[in-house]
Amino acid sequence: MREIRTLIVDDSSVMRKIVERSLRQAGLDSLVVFEAGSGTDGLDVLRAEAVDLIVSDINMPSMDGLEFLRQIRAQNLAPGVPVVMITTESSEEHVKQAILSGAQGYIRKPFTAEQVKERVLPLVNAA
Amino acid sequence: MLLNGVRTAALARSQRAGKDETECVMTVSLRESVQLVSDPRNLDASVEEVFQLMLGVDCKRECSPPVHEAESVTAVVGFGGVLSGACVFRSGARAALRVAALMTGMEFNGIDDTVMDAIGEIGNMLAGAWKGKVPNLAANCGLSVPAVISGRDYNLHVQAPEFQLHHVYRFEDASFEVTIICDGLQ
Repeated sequence: MREIRTLIVDDSSVMRKIVERSLRQAGLDSLVVFEAGSGTDGLDVLRAEAVDLIVSDINMPSMDGLEFLRQIRAQNLAPGVPVVMITTESSEEHVKQAILSGAQGYIRKPFTAEQVKERVLPLVNAA
Repeated sequence: MLLNGVRTAALARSQRAGKDETECVMTVSLRESVQLVSDPRNLDASVEEVFQLMLGVDCKRECSPPVHEAESVTAVVGFGGVLSGACVFRSGARAALRVAALMTGMEFNGIDDTVMDAIGEIGNMLAGAWKGKVPNLAANCGLSVPAVISGRDYNLHVQAPEFQLHHVYRFEDASFEVTIICDGLQ
């Protein structure tokens, strides 16, 4: 099974652990996880490491998830790497903004491991 | 002061999402759906959903007051946009430690940064789930990042909100309170 190098961006360390656990429960056993507590830190990770998947919160202090996404695209970091947003924001408008900013997937908190599997695995397999 | 701070942050988030205050006033009125916004069943459903999905436990509303503990943890998540106010989660130390343990799979002996982080996330998810029950709120109300307070024998005072929901819930043998404070509705 190939290694899936994954960047998880969330200001909550607890949520980063929950996301990692959910990804493993979804079948991504061979995860190599990089954690970042903000969009700014996430960009630093992407400048230093190649990743296969990015999972990011939206509501974060200093640089939120949407700006993080825009910066990834503007700086051409991680081209072609799927990005999944995991957030409490659930309206169509928020989903639209995330997609327009470059996200390929969107998961609303609270979530189940099954939802993570349904929305993340196809992206990883297609990449 | 605290609530003003989280409200300002939530409003800023709403504005960054492309909705300025004027636009919200012009295009959306929650006043027409105030009964839906203040429906207590929305809060109960949100709490049950968050606890079932994220902690794997059943959680039910109860009528008796929460067990008082000197040490408690409070998470405040501000609302900004068409509704201004806050979602407040408050529990004694015992329930907070249990919530953190269920979320992380770790055991905790006292309230530390991880426990406060977990309680902040619970507050965030409750606020998000609650506003998601009302379409106008889901689209036009922003959330602040959580502010978490821990300590002994403190009170949170709110001046005459427009409406307030205050419920007590129980899971396993622990209880906690959730309060939705609305001090402005457009």
